[in-house]
This record gives sequence, C-alpha cells and structure tokens, in this order.
Amino acid sequence: MKRALLILAASFSLLLAGCGYNDFQARDEEVKKAWAEVLNQYKRRADLIPNLVSTVQGFADQEKDVLLGVTNARSKVGSVQATPELLNNPQAFAQFQKAQGELSGALSRLLVVAENYPQLKSDANFRDLQAQLEGTENRITVSRKRYIDEVGEYNKLVRQIPSNFTAMIFSYKEKPQFTVEDEKAIAAPPKVDFKAKPAETAPSAASKIPAAPNEYTK
Amino acid sequence: MHKPFQFVLRPIRQLLGLARHAVFGLGVSAFVAALAGISLAHAATGDFADIPALKGRVTDTTGTLSSADAARIEAKLKAFEQQKGSQMVVLMVPTVQPEAIEQYSIRVAEKWKIGRKKVDDGLILLVAKNDRKLRIEVGYGLEGAIPDAIAKRIISEAIAPRFRNNDYVGGIEAGVDRLIAVASGEALPAPEVKQSWSGKPDGPTGDFNIEWFVVAFFVALGVGGFLRAVFGRFFGAMLTGGGLGAIVWFLSSALGWAAIIGIVGFFITLFSGGGRGGGGWTSSGSDWGGSSGDSFSGGGGDFGGGGASGDW
Repeated sequence: MKRALLILAASFSLLLAGCGYNDFQARDEEVKKAWAEVLNQYKRRADLIPNLVSTVQGFADQEKDVLLGVTNARSKVGSVQATPELLNNPQAFAQFQKAQGELSGALSRLLVVAENYPQLKSDANFRDLQAQLEGTENRITVSRKRYIDEVGEYNKLVRQIPSNFTAMIFSYKEKPQFTVEDEKAIAAPPKVDFKAKPAETAPSAASKIPAAPNEYTK
Repeated sequence: MHKPFQFVLRPIRQLLGLARHAVFGLGVSAFVAALAGISLAHAATGDFADIPALKGRVTDTTGTLSSADAARIEAKLKAFEQQKGSQMVVLMVPTVQPEAIEQYSIRVAEKWKIGRKKVDDGLILLVAKNDRKLRIEVGYGLEGAIPDAIAKRIISEAIAPRFRNNDYVGGIEAGVDRLIAVASGEALPAPEVKQSWSGKPDGPTGDFNIEWFVVAFFVALGVGGFLRAVFGRFFGAMLTGGGLGAIVWFLSSALGWAAIIGIVGFFITLFSGGGRGGGGWTSSGSDWGGSSGDSFSGGGGDFGGGGASGDW
C-alpha cells in the first residue's frame, strides 16, 4: 500500500515534470525577467528626455515642432501601462511597441535637427546627453534581443510535443514578439531631398509616423 | 537457483531496454540538436566576423601592437585586476563588418564573459581598425563608475585623437589608463586572493553538473542502504535509482542524465554492501582545474550594452 502510494506520487510528479510543467514556469520567469529589463531600459530613455529637450531648447528654441513631437511622444509612452500582464495581451503589447517606436522616431528627428546647430553640437552637456541616449538605445536593443530569445524559447515550448499538451491543459499562450515597427518604411529606400526646408519637413514627417503602415502604400 | 536469478535478471533486462529507449531518444534529440546547432552556428557565424579565442587580456588580430607593447598593456590590466578584481581586456580586430560595432561587441561580451560573475565588473575596449571604429563595452557592475558619457569622453578625448595620428599603441594605452583611473573610484568587492584566473569558469552552462555524480553516489550509499534494508536488495536499489533519476529529471529536465544517474544509483545500491565494487566509484571525483598559472579566461561577468562607441 505504502509502496503503491509512493510509486503513484513519484509517477505523477514525473508525469508533470516530463510534460514540461516546470519548464513552463522557469521559462515564463525568464521571459518576465527579460521583459522587465526591456521596460527598465525604455524607462531610462524616457527619463533622459526632459533634460535633453531643455538642453536643445536652450540652443534651438525655434524647433518647436520637433521638440513638441518628442514631448508628446514621451507622454504617450508614459500613458501606456507597461505591466507584466502586457505580455499576455497582444493588443496592448502592440500599442506599447507603437508608442515606443514613435518616441524613437521623434528622438531621431531631434538629433537630426541638432546637427544644424554647431553651438549645440559642441555643448558638453548636450554631448553627454547624446552619449547617454546612444548608450540607452543600445541597451534597449540588447534587452530586446534577449527578450526575443527568451520568448522564442517559451513559444517553442508552447508549440512542441509533448509540452504543447501541458500548454493546452493550463492554457498557456504564445507570448508576443517584438517586430520591426514599420516594415514597409524600412523596405522603402530613403528619400533624399536637397531642398533644405527643415522647419517644414519635420512636422509633416512627425504627423506621418503614427499612421498605420498600410497607409504608406496609398 | 534458477528462479531468483531470473527474478533479478528480467527487471534488469527491462531496465536496460528502457535505458536503450532513453539512449535512442537521446541520440535522436542529440542529432536534432546537432542539426539545429549547425544551422544556428551557420546563421550566427557564417555571415558575421569571427570572434577570436580569448587567450590573454590583449588580443590583437591585426598585428598592429608589437609584442612588447601588448605585454606592457597586459601587465597594466593584470595589475589592475589583482588590485581591484575587475577584468578589463583589449580586443583589436581588422573589421566587424557587416555588423555594427555594438552588435559585434555584445557578442564578444557574451562569449568571453569578462568580469567576475555576479559582480559583472568587466570591460572590453574594442577597436575595429579598418572600420575606424571603436567601442568601450562596460559590464553592469562598472556602469556606475564608467557611465556612457564618461566612456564617450575617454574615446573622444584620449583615444580617438591618437588614433587619428596612427598612434594606436598610445591611444589604447591612454584609454586604458583613464579607464583604470575612473574604475578605481568604484567600490567593488575585493578580489579573491586565491582565485587565480587559471580556474575554469564554472562548468558546462547546461542544466547538469558533474557534482551530481558525487551526490548520487552518496545518496545511493546512504539512502540506498536504508531502502535496501527495508525493501530488500533489489527493490531498494530500484527505488533508489528511480528516486534519484526522478529528482535529477525534476531538477534539470535532462532526461538522459536522469536515466544515467538513476541507473548508476541502482547499481551502486545493488552492489554496495556486498563488497563488490564499493570503492570503484570514488575515482570519478571532480578534481579538475589546477592548470598552469598564466592562462586567462573570463570570470562570467554580464553585459547589458552599456558603454559608448566612437570613430576616428
């Protein structure tokens, strides 16, 4: 009797372990960790922005549109609730990603505009901020890559035999992956415009970014 | 005579059959893994620049640094490591194309694992000579002492101007000097005196440790002896082996190892105490390491992409 119980308990735990239940828990935790790091780095970037904006403003106050674009994009990023639950909600995830993508776009426009101001470019404070921003962008890239790897491992577990049965029983879903924000925009060759009208081109570009990708084809 | 013999033999045969299945499964999965590994390796290295093997603190595949220069910089880095415990290395390659220097650099960091484990106080000064690009890759633990802005300044003030005059040795040395100066200000855990870098970074990174063989041995001797006394020799051995295998499987999810450990535990329990091979297993202890004193390897430090890049 005792022995039978023992064997039963052992085989049950083996069954659970063999079907990857523990793997799911471990992988899920790894994904969460990687995601937390992504959030951490995005937060770091958002924290840099007020300082950056005010520094640029000191030298290039007339670039209101670009500066506003950055500020607005940042506040939008702040309004998307970035919780761990976001990972189980593809729509919210896409929204988060879109907001961060817009901020990336606005920031790169700001840096392009800054090129026109030699005084700003040689300002030590601005250069430090720029270095921090570059470093943070790189950290974001690294943390995103690690998140992508972790999610890849998790999703493999969800889809592969025999762990997919475990996933079915406990209704574990695939986790959303990062994608390129705007594949069509990347595939399209960059437009080179020699007529320098930075004041006009910047806001129009800013208004275009939030549009859905398929509007580019029209 | 005949009957008890059968009684022992048949389960063994079944067990062996099981083991054969496990080994077959292991073989298949190993084959698949090897295939995946090959394609992955192809994807990872086929298109990208190679990462040189880590042999010392200064690695130069371009032949720019004379051996005397390299030795001098190496000595500097070694002295700093002995003083603060933080590992810094210099890598000079001809090109990192087609990757960006940041991508190549983080791959180097992930492969070399410079810096102490958990302290993450590693640093890599990477120079891509023909690309005219360089990067200071800073480990998590040094990000406080060397924030991105400082790394950028060291690049643009100390290194890049000298590189522009083709003074590569001077640039690297000036950079190393300044990096050491700023890193010295960081409060880091004291270096372990005993830990020479000759020691292997801990074991294979997989789920399995060789120590488990030792653990399995003692568990089989102790618990196995008890179970043998309660359930009899064969069932005791079965339970011990099965239990061990189950535990290993549970902890590591490595079925193959679980099967092997289980079988080892089974046989140890089966034969120990009978005076038949008790001592034979101890030789598989884990004394490894103790290699010669001057080799260098990363301590297992992590990087998160901090640092700065520049050009000249």
